[in-house]
Amino acid sequence: MQHNSETEIKILGLCVDFPDKNSGDIIHALTNIDLEIKEGEFVSLVGPSGCGKTTLLRAIADLQEPTSGIISVKGMRPHEVRIRQKYGFVFQSPVLYDWRTVRRNICMPMEVMGIPKKERSKRIDETLEMVGLTDFGKKYPHQLSGGMQQRVGIARALAYEPEILLMDEPFSALDEFTKEKLHLDLLNIWKKTNKTILFVTHNIQEAVFLSDRIVVLSPHPGRVSAVVDVDIPRPRGLESRDGDDFNHMVSKVRHSFEGV
Amino acid sequence: MTINRKKASERLVTLVWGLGLIGLWEIGATVVENTKRSPQNVLPHLYQIIQSVFSTAMVSNKQTALQIVLSNAGLTLYRAGIGFLIGIAVGFLLALLMQRFVPIEKIAFPYLMMIQMIPILGMAPIVLAITKDIDKSRIVIAAILTFYPVATNTLAGFKSVEKEKYELMHSIAATDRQLYTKLLIPACIPYFFTGLKISAPMAITASILVDTLQGGGGLGCMLSQSLKHAMSIYVFWQIVFLSAIVGILSYQLMALIEKIVSPYERAGA
Amino acid sequence: MSDRKEFSLNKNMISTAVYPIFFGLFILLLWETEALHKIIDADTFTLPVPSRIIGIIAENLPSILKNTKATVQVAVGGLVLGSLLGYLLAMIATAFPKWGKGGLTIVSAFNAVPVIAIAPIMTNLTKDFSRDPNLRSMLAKTLVVMLLCTVSMSINAFRGFNELKPFSEDLMKSIAAKPASVFFKLRVPNSVPYIFTALRVSVPGSVIFAMVSEYFAEYIIGVGRQIRENIVLAQYATAWAYIAAAFVIGVTMYIILLIFENILLRGRR
Repeated sequence: MQHNSETEIKILGLCVDFPDKNSGDIIHALTNIDLEIKEGEFVSLVGPSGCGKTTLLRAIADLQEPTSGIISVKGMRPHEVRIRQKYGFVFQSPVLYDWRTVRRNICMPMEVMGIPKKERSKRIDETLEMVGLTDFGKKYPHQLSGGMQQRVGIARALAYEPEILLMDEPFSALDEFTKEKLHLDLLNIWKKTNKTILFVTHNIQEAVFLSDRIVVLSPHPGRVSAVVDVDIPRPRGLESRDGDDFNHMVSKVRHSFEGV
Repeated sequence: MTINRKKASERLVTLVWGLGLIGLWEIGATVVENTKRSPQNVLPHLYQIIQSVFSTAMVSNKQTALQIVLSNAGLTLYRAGIGFLIGIAVGFLLALLMQRFVPIEKIAFPYLMMIQMIPILGMAPIVLAITKDIDKSRIVIAAILTFYPVATNTLAGFKSVEKEKYELMHSIAATDRQLYTKLLIPACIPYFFTGLKISAPMAITASILVDTLQGGGGLGCMLSQSLKHAMSIYVFWQIVFLSAIVGILSYQLMALIEKIVSPYERAGA
Repeated sequence: MSDRKEFSLNKNMISTAVYPIFFGLFILLLWETEALHKIIDADTFTLPVPSRIIGIIAENLPSILKNTKATVQVAVGGLVLGSLLGYLLAMIATAFPKWGKGGLTIVSAFNAVPVIAIAPIMTNLTKDFSRDPNLRSMLAKTLVVMLLCTVSMSINAFRGFNELKPFSEDLMKSIAAKPASVFFKLRVPNSVPYIFTALRVSVPGSVIFAMVSEYFAEYIIGVGRQIRENIVLAQYATAWAYIAAAFVIGVTMYIILLIFENILLRGRR
């Protein structure tokens, strides 16, 4: 994929500490993170639990206050970017409102942003098609399977056209078949919309398949232990997983963990 | 079995039980009729009670038994209703404040717990003594009995909202108002109505009970007078049935309003 | 929102205890200094200051204890008998699910029937039970409490017998368990938390129902009746002493329930 070489997200010397819920000891979730992400890039944050990958994503999203260091997104602080509604956050669980239909769930952020009604309806149609749920708009979340619910969550994050998608292990709770399908869907959507995507996962294959670059994080304290460029050609399909390139890349990422 | 047939058979079972209950009453009434001196005081036949409803005989003050019951029911239920509404408003507001401000939650929560341990209804007489007004005390007692189930249940509703849902609203920079209108209030509606379903029959019970404390009219007052044989005993039996019916209806009414108000149910599925 | 959870644990625990205690003391201070009277427009005659109420309690301790005993006997007796009966009914309903469920629908309607309608009926029904008015009043009051506790226990226990965890019934089937062992190894343990759901309603309820049925009893005894009688006689300070007793009964019974619950539900989630 060709992207503009302009820097979208820049992180310098980021540290996040917080007290442990039980013992009250200080946990160094992230120490001295330096990272640059370009506009339109697909970057995965990979690591075992406790490595701070989710914390890093949440710090960028302004859901977590950094202890020190600088995060600059489009030349602004995360708070300013969030207030301008440029983030689309996708959670590990779908986080749907069970009293709203699929359409109205997707609509909710646009209501918050004051997007006109006609435009809202148009965008709901578009995003429903993108995630392949056109016939399910009038259903309630509990009537959908887990994979479908997660797609609604993604559609909701796409519909209001944020510039940056922040995805926190969005497929971790799904079965392999659904996951593979959603990987292809996500790559398609990314190609169409050309958004910057920051994707958190503990699944190395998933990260290799999706990303331009993989940031490998190691725990205690959370730090960047490697940044791996993924040079598997695009467009990628299911067959891309079968090549030696793919396996080689997976083992390269696996070997870059430190102290695990 | 199809769902419809299953429902129909369930209804049939309930109907049979209802008839069984009526049969049991009638057997009891027959036994009482043959063994007691004034059976109508203990357990009259159901048809006698129904007869009294349609009877045109003047019981007191140129009113039939039914007229007495209905006119006094208006008085009682109206006050119960006002108290109920005040209780809802106070309860909801308190839950909102507790959700919003941690110190208020910390102060109020133990007291909310304590109120449900205290027999408030038994304190009705002292409320009457302080307010010195039967109408005011009906309203106050009904409001107290309404406010705490509403407050505790609504607060539980607010607490049921997962952290991720807050974060979603935060990530799209929703305003404070939008946080309430789009997330917190819709999320707490089922809990809120659980509170209302508990407190609606209680508010009515409370209001009738307060009536019995003074001679100023109302269902409870007529009930006491009828028991003391100041008027036909059937006024008592009519009030027993009326209060039971109104109690059940008040619960059903809350369930109905919930169905109408709840955004989830409205769109249907 | 996130900073709400970032208080350190100790600070949190201290403020949880200190805020409400401070608030309570503040109200007591307002009450004792008669500032409270100005706020709610009452006088020290109907709302005596706390120190005076304590004095009255000390003076009348023997009769307060006697009446407390009468109320507690009715409340606990009715609670125990009613809960046992309700549990038994739920067992029978579970054994015959088709008829049982419909029967419990009828039973649950009693939930909305006001106590005031039931208490006088019970008083009349038990008139010939004994020559001793105290004894027959006790029976009438206990029956009222029992009836209402039966309702809440039967509904909740039935749910406890039938709302089983997914696959738990399949597991029993897979080991070819007999219906009796399904009942005692699965349904009975499953019902334990539901028993406490019922008791959380009926423990405070039993005190309220006992106090209210005292109003309609022949024999004048019990905390609820004494509150009323003393107010009729304009002995407000004595009435407040009985209110304090009612408060203590309610809170004590609830705390005992919580202790039981803590022990029996330990390790469950």
